[in-house]
Amino acid sequence: MQELKTKATTLIIGIGNIGRNDDGLGWDFVEKIEEMQLPHIACEYRYQLQIEDAQLVSQYETVFFADASHQALDNGFEIKECSLVDHYYFTSHSQSPETILYLAKELYQKEPIAYTIAIAGNDWDFENKLSEIAKENLDKALQGFEKWVNCSTENNKSAILL
Amino acid sequence: MSRKITIDPITRVEGHGRVTIHLDDYGQVKDSFFHIVEFRGFERFIQGHPYWEAPVFVQRLCGICPVSHHLAASKAIDQIAGIDPKDLSPTATKLRRLMHYGQVFQSHALHFFYLASPDLLFGFDAPVDKRNIVAVASEHRDLAIKGITMRRFGQEIIKAVAGKRIHGILTVPGGVHKTITETERDYFLDGNNIESIDTMIEWTKEVINFMKGYHEKNRKQLDEFAFFPSGHLGMVNDQGELDLYDGKLRAKDFEGNIILNDISTDSYQEYFAEAVANWSYMKFPYLKNIGREKGWNRVGPMARLNVCDRIPTPLAEKERQFYLDFSGHKIINSTMYYHWARLIEMLYCAEEIKLLLNDPDLLSGELVRQGKPRNKGIGIIEAPRGTLTHHYEVDDKGMITRCNLIVSTTHNNDAMNEAVKWVAQHVISRHGNITDGMLNQVEVAIRAYDPCLSCATQALGQMSLTAELYNHKAELIDARTKN
Repeated sequence: MQELKTKATTLIIGIGNIGRNDDGLGWDFVEKIEEMQLPHIACEYRYQLQIEDAQLVSQYETVFFADASHQALDNGFEIKECSLVDHYYFTSHSQSPETILYLAKELYQKEPIAYTIAIAGNDWDFENKLSEIAKENLDKALQGFEKWVNCSTENNKSAILL
Repeated sequence: MSRKITIDPITRVEGHGRVTIHLDDYGQVKDSFFHIVEFRGFERFIQGHPYWEAPVFVQRLCGICPVSHHLAASKAIDQIAGIDPKDLSPTATKLRRLMHYGQVFQSHALHFFYLASPDLLFGFDAPVDKRNIVAVASEHRDLAIKGITMRRFGQEIIKAVAGKRIHGILTVPGGVHKTITETERDYFLDGNNIESIDTMIEWTKEVINFMKGYHEKNRKQLDEFAFFPSGHLGMVNDQGELDLYDGKLRAKDFEGNIILNDISTDSYQEYFAEAVANWSYMKFPYLKNIGREKGWNRVGPMARLNVCDRIPTPLAEKERQFYLDFSGHKIINSTMYYHWARLIEMLYCAEEIKLLLNDPDLLSGELVRQGKPRNKGIGIIEAPRGTLTHHYEVDDKGMITRCNLIVSTTHNNDAMNEAVKWVAQHVISRHGNITDGMLNQVEVAIRAYDPCLSCATQALGQMSLTAELYNHKAELIDARTKN
């Protein structure tokens, strides 16, 4: 239960379906981060973001949304700043990171610094394994994230990500 | 010139559907259909798998009500392991019930606050930018926060007993694989980490009071909108009380006459058949003795409150009595009363959760029992959306040879089509033009049933919902797609 954990200031949410090969990149990214046992970082896994995740992200200073990308990306991954947007997807099953941030501000008056981590994949079949390209891209994304963690100032951190 | 309107996708429902409305030469509604065109598959996928996989496998039908499929399949698989519901240990039964009440509580909260509340707060024909939870969050912040917190409370109950909020596992054939700890139990009672169960009860009463106030101001609309006669089906216990986990099946017609008299769930095949239509993957269950045309029944909260004699918890029963006062304690056939009934069921679930959390059997006791294996098992529960049937047959090695699922939403298939027809005839036929607001009223009528279209067809992939308008020559002349 989230509330019983040691207080973390950064949250990483892995989004995707590990039963669809490279769609599991978001979860695999978070799993690797958990293995590093980094202080002050909490991890969550989601098939899709849902409205109640607004309450969750409101409890953190910084939030990362890690997900697989269908598009090829320079360096195999991309980390971008994520800003809140007043937008609603037609089903309750799935909401965007931007909408979750909007709801966090509207409902809980919290506006965490947020980033999306897109990791490129290319195999979406019904199996539970990453393609070779996805594995390479995952390693690159982890290295990029580690640099961010080891950076001492917020300005430098932003520079690394962007 | 005659025309055909299509609404696609139907918004704020679980899954994807499509509505077509056919107009005649004079612009009057000639016919209407609620199409479900997703692929149905799980009944076939599960064949050849060992029986004990079923409760884990079939809950992947849905991300909203996996607990319902987990428990219905488990009740069936218990029988294949030789254990009937009454033979399950008290600890196993109570843990399953706790999970089920948590599931219904969170599912009803999701529907009322996230999906239905914009219709009530902003009007049936409100502009598109108002018809979502984001607008509710902006203009009714306290209500939105309560909705999110209540949904999360139910999800945390599921997580405590099953390990995960979605697709967790509690059951094994003949029982459960774990209890909960005192710390996990106290998490829901003491209010130190999350709002307590007492707060959930109070908040649910507040939301019911909101609904009563809404009813007072809008009674004519609630009474008349998508009103039509039908049968009503639900489960009751031996005392005739509402029971969501186990009991007998009872149905009443639109006037309250008994048409299915407390039959054993094991004999459902003697009484129910399923029809098909060439314009939808979703089947049409009906009572054999009444026939296809008039033998279909509504299921879910309104139907359950119509068929039961009482609710076994005091606060919810008091609210049911107040709710029935408006119909003179007769059967309610007005679609929009589903919303009110859903809230009363939330209160019932919250009361039951509180009782169970204070029951020492949750913390320790016998987990699993074994019996003489059988080749058939039938599990029926009342899922959030209505009566849910899982039926499995296995060979002597325990491999599944046959599976039949009658998912709650399929029982409401005819009702949703009737609701669409009502709106088409009463709202769209009456006007020379067709507005977004009118089309939204079609969705309002469907949404009241809280359909889970993915469950109902065991969907693969994704389909958006379209509204199409056809002329008398069956030519598409207009379409609106929502995605």
